[in-house]
Amino acid sequence: MKCVLIAGDSAEVLFYWTDPDFQQDVQDQYGLSQEEGQRPPAFEDSINTLFAPIIISCSTMVDRLGDSYACFTTESDHIYVLHQFDDCLYIAVNGDGEEGEDDLRRKIFVTKKLIEVLFGMVTLSSNLLRKELRPQDTEQRTRLWKQLQGLLETYSRLRENDQSFLVEAVERLIHPTLCEQCIEFLERRLVQHLNSTSSLERCGEEVLHAFILVHTKLLAFYSSRNTSTLSPSDLLTLIVMAQNMYHSNTDEEDPGPEDVDSVSGSGPEMFYTPEPSPTNRRSSGSDRPSRGETPMFEFVDPDIQIAEDSLQTLEVPPPDPAAPCRVFLEVSLKDGLYPMMPHSMYCLPLWPGITLVLLTKIPNSGVAMSVYVYLEAFAKLEKRLYEGQEGSAATRGQPTIHDLRGKLDKFIKALGPCDIQTSQLQNVWSEFKKRAFTRGGPGFTKELIPWCKSMKTQLCGVYKQCFLNEASRGATAPQRLSPALQDQAQAMVQEKLIDWKDFLLVKSKRNITMVSYPHLTYLEDFPGLIHFICVDRSTGQMIAPSLNITERSTSELGKGPLAQFLRGKVWGLVRTTRRYLQKGYTTVTLRDGDFYFCYFLWFENETGYKLEEVDLPVLADDSAPIGMLARDYYRKLLRYYSKNHHGEVVKCYELITIHLGVIPTEYILQHCRQLASKLWEPSRNPLLSATAPDETRSLRKSFSELMSCTTCGVKQALCRAFPVWWMISGFRIRKCSALRGISSTTPLQNHSFDQKLCRGRTTKEEEPG
Amino acid sequence: MAELMMLDSRRCTYFFLYDGSKVQGEGDPTREGICYFYPEKTPIDKQELLCGQLAGVSRCVSEMSSSPVRVLRLRHSKFAIKMEEDFFWALGCSADFPTVSMCDLLDQLISLFCFYNGPVRQSYQENSRETLALHWSQYLLYLQTGSTELHHIFSCLRTIDSTHIDPLLLLKAALILQACQRCPLVLAGCILFRGRVVSTQMPPDLTVKVMAHETQTYNKDKKPNGVSSSAPLSRAVTSTTVHLTLSELQDLRSTTVDRESRSHSTPSKDNRPQRTRLSRTLSDTPSTDSHTDLETDSPDTPLRLDGLLSPVLSRGAEQSAARPTVNPPLFQFSESSPSTNRKGPRSGSNEEEDEDDSVLEKSYYYSFHSHGGNTSQADLQGEASPLAEASALENKPPATPMADGRSGPGCWTPGQEGSPEGRAASRGSRDGRNSGGASLPRVGDKDRAVVPMTLYQHRVKGLVLALLVEPHFQRDTEAMEEVYHSSLASLNGLEAHLRTMAPGPPSPQGPYIFAHYDCIQNTLTTNVSGRAGGDQDHSFVRATSLLHSHFCNSEALQEAIIRSARTAVYATRSVAQETYFLQHGGVVRNSGVPNHQDTAFSLPSKARHRLLKHGVSLL
Repeated sequence: MKCVLIAGDSAEVLFYWTDPDFQQDVQDQYGLSQEEGQRPPAFEDSINTLFAPIIISCSTMVDRLGDSYACFTTESDHIYVLHQFDDCLYIAVNGDGEEGEDDLRRKIFVTKKLIEVLFGMVTLSSNLLRKELRPQDTEQRTRLWKQLQGLLETYSRLRENDQSFLVEAVERLIHPTLCEQCIEFLERRLVQHLNSTSSLERCGEEVLHAFILVHTKLLAFYSSRNTSTLSPSDLLTLIVMAQNMYHSNTDEEDPGPEDVDSVSGSGPEMFYTPEPSPTNRRSSGSDRPSRGETPMFEFVDPDIQIAEDSLQTLEVPPPDPAAPCRVFLEVSLKDGLYPMMPHSMYCLPLWPGITLVLLTKIPNSGVAMSVYVYLEAFAKLEKRLYEGQEGSAATRGQPTIHDLRGKLDKFIKALGPCDIQTSQLQNVWSEFKKRAFTRGGPGFTKELIPWCKSMKTQLCGVYKQCFLNEASRGATAPQRLSPALQDQAQAMVQEKLIDWKDFLLVKSKRNITMVSYPHLTYLEDFPGLIHFICVDRSTGQMIAPSLNITERSTSELGKGPLAQFLRGKVWGLVRTTRRYLQKGYTTVTLRDGDFYFCYFLWFENETGYKLEEVDLPVLADDSAPIGMLARDYYRKLLRYYSKNHHGEVVKCYELITIHLGVIPTEYILQHCRQLASKLWEPSRNPLLSATAPDETRSLRKSFSELMSCTTCGVKQALCRAFPVWWMISGFRIRKCSALRGISSTTPLQNHSFDQKLCRGRTTKEEEPG
Repeated sequence: MAELMMLDSRRCTYFFLYDGSKVQGEGDPTREGICYFYPEKTPIDKQELLCGQLAGVSRCVSEMSSSPVRVLRLRHSKFAIKMEEDFFWALGCSADFPTVSMCDLLDQLISLFCFYNGPVRQSYQENSRETLALHWSQYLLYLQTGSTELHHIFSCLRTIDSTHIDPLLLLKAALILQACQRCPLVLAGCILFRGRVVSTQMPPDLTVKVMAHETQTYNKDKKPNGVSSSAPLSRAVTSTTVHLTLSELQDLRSTTVDRESRSHSTPSKDNRPQRTRLSRTLSDTPSTDSHTDLETDSPDTPLRLDGLLSPVLSRGAEQSAARPTVNPPLFQFSESSPSTNRKGPRSGSNEEEDEDDSVLEKSYYYSFHSHGGNTSQADLQGEASPLAEASALENKPPATPMADGRSGPGCWTPGQEGSPEGRAASRGSRDGRNSGGASLPRVGDKDRAVVPMTLYQHRVKGLVLALLVEPHFQRDTEAMEEVYHSSLASLNGLEAHLRTMAPGPPSPQGPYIFAHYDCIQNTLTTNVSGRAGGDQDHSFVRATSLLHSHFCNSEALQEAIIRSARTAVYATRSVAQETYFLQHGGVVRNSGVPNHQDTAFSLPSKARHRLLKHGVSLL
């Protein structure tokens, strides 16, 4: 019983997503009220009628009371969460008890984020957004809604099953050597190669970021020089999108190990977890009936696979497989932060579950930056006028509207030859100028407000023409890297990783393992520790033992109901701690049944010195959810904290642990302290160093089994990989560019991948050349 | 008085009752449906807006989910909602007031109204809106006044500060109540002093309702609607009609009455064997041989006296008189009954029929007479009215100790207090009420049907003896006089003693703040003064309300420590109690990094140590 709905200000439904239960429920309600023989109304109409009173009442409350609904709870614990963004009302409903109020609000914000990534600055004009979200053309609408619905389903699935989406931080595959090699490969071979081909073949695009995903985990990430960093929020969103494109490949079948298993007849399945989770089956349910049975491993060529896929998925004409996805991401440059800048995203599947993602800069992206500058200027002006500042007071600030005048003139002129209709913008702009700047005109008064508004709308319109519907502009060649080039890229990485493929798939399921059911103990060092999650919020990365809870697989936490129970505890605990964090509590310990939970949030400076705690802001119940995916709470938190720490790099960490309740509290706290201090330190990381005997033992076992049944090439690769396990040094991965001339076996502590991801520019400045 | 009048503005911002049946057609103005709106000065169009929108949207949501809306939140405030038939209640609070407490408050308010006025529909047919509006505002004021924000969070009873009171006085109050109960028409009672409970035999929620009347008369010194002064007795005595739900009534009848001794002492209509005083004063009590005061052949008299002493003594030993003797133990079972109802072997329908027939006509009074005086207790258990039978079935595990070991009405016996089933059940029912799950019969037909009873009040200055009595008690002048005269002297004495007890200076707060909530007696012990709440007080209250909500929503949670940069609060709960503790100035500026030397983690041991002297045992 789940539903997400977006309504415009005239109560029309702009988008909806429901699960089958909800759809059934609505149809039942309408089925009853229908007369015999009459066909039930279309589902879209029913849902519109159902929600219309709520939507209308909501806008009445806003108009007349200045307040609006945030949440309804019924006695049967159905929850409705409502949130208004500009003129759009988002409603999320749950009637099966699987989601709480916080989850629903998060879903709403995630929906908003997805829309922002897909539509960019068009979201700033509710008029245009309405047209984009609900295209007149039914076919187009079906396609768009299916895409968004798929994204939401993928997000929900990840949110329910994947720890990295539970805490909203990126999880990396812990294999430094391989990571290093891959980063180096991405930089020196792939990106360099791609960017050095002829501009014609690239269509003027330039690869900015390249990364390899194994399921949801990050194997390697490379950003080219002088490029802004990719924010954790955007990265997480891109992972959702990549998962959505190939999600059948990721979870439902990992043919390799499965297949192998049955052939060899040995090896308990506990080391492989390639199980279709029930959620997937359900979510892919009605509209993709044959997907489950498709023996994916028969399709060796991923391209064929996609084609097959799309045929089944969409009734509408299949999209060009080589067409990139237009995404709008945040770009931070020296002169400021530019949200929603256009990029092209290429998701190249290497094997089921392993994906190469390329993010490119498109040729005319400078237009977006200008549009943003003008938009901001007009928004500021409008705000000042609203506040009653008129005349020169309204035009203060940087850059002043007078500065912009000339620039905007030029901008409009420059747009002319680009097939972009600027006549309307031009009209509005000249009208604006007439009113604002001419002597004897009204000048900067409140009367200018509507003109500010329409300038904004016109600018958004230009942006939309430039970046959203290129196809309709009748451009001769589609804007993309040529398919041949994409194939090349794909082949290069495939070649590079072919020996690692199976290893990576297993590894992604058992990235870090805790051990060993049924004792439920963890390492000699941490008796009684059942599970933990540690998050570095300044880089948006997390580390946690794998927690696989699919039916047939066994995780450290055991199998079946017990694992499911503990998983429920972990999920509940994260929800609880967020609730307390929202109210300003940074330390929480709970004794709950047989378990003892701890949560800590703290700040450190770059050298690991623990910084003093400050009172955190207390947020309202309906404030944006705490996390990094939709709205980056932690970035705000760091900014808030940094106010008192000028010139110092502040890092923020979180630790969540679950212990057995019988362990004395002081030991538990000691464990937490050890975990907190060691987890991010490469040399002493207890999980990753040789002091993890159980871990190694189980891994050794899994490898030996793998070895016994895989092909020669894989064997070799594993032989090479295995010793590395003993000296895994975790998270400080040297940056490839720093490795030139240095033996590839000497780790470099100074240049960390973390830093690269976190503060790309700083790191770059440190490394001349 | 000042305290009583202090209105905590943070609690209720809006309250209204909207009758949807009055606004059916298109043209019907919304104002027709507004039965009561608080604050009354709200402009009518705003009233209409709120009523119309909230009722409309709630109806829409309820239809979609086929379940009534319980909580409606706006950006800046929130509402507890109750939808029943065509009536729509909404109670609005500020956003930081715990939702659980807000819903409790609304339930309390509605049941309070029904207690004094009967079913809502009926009372609106019989009375004018203006009259009832007055009542709503009185009840709203009553439930909101007084005490601290903490009291509001827990919706608890206001009790006298027993730390300044001689425990013997509490005992005396309990004795007075028990003596009154010897009149078979008396169901249960409580003694109140200046708006606070001294001793009660009723479950907490019923005590709250009974107190409402007392507080009104005490405050306003005028007779509210429906009160008839009983002519023969002094003006100090009033009685008013109240309405008990069937389950409440059944609990009172089945658990508090010491049937055997009563059946002996019951004055039959024509011949009363004795004209002794029902009451015994403290001076009587020790002389067990003064049998003239007691029933001659009552076999369990000595036992009863032991029992009488036990509440205070054992409690005193255990908890050094932290609280007044609000006799709790029996009510944990009675509280449990609503939730056990559906599981029990009794099928609602025919039993209710029985009750409906029996309730008014053959009440306990008569049924006992029919059995004569020599019925054994076991027989009574077996053959008593269907009510008793039902309750005996319901309370199976506790029934045995009650039947055999119970030593007196409303008395404490260790076995009962310790009975895990009772506690668990009572907790369960409380949880059920809080979470409002659909599976639990929230407002069963049983709760909706009400039985008129009489509330008898005898006032001696600040002291009030309030008794719930059978309706025909009023007509039975003899019984009335007897109750009056037998308690008069004791009440006077008690009043004199209580009056001279100086309220004492507020105890110095010490280096810590705590709150101890007894879920069963629904009482709160705290050293938060509530007046000039300091910064720490405020953060303590904030943390407490968060933790209390968490406790209410999580069954397995036993203890918690939460810490911000400035405050650390420790909370622990068992089925019977919740305790919150904050140490002043204890939190050293800390980095927040996990560290076992962090002072926050020493709170549990500190709390255990410090609170012992407040009679709170966390061991």
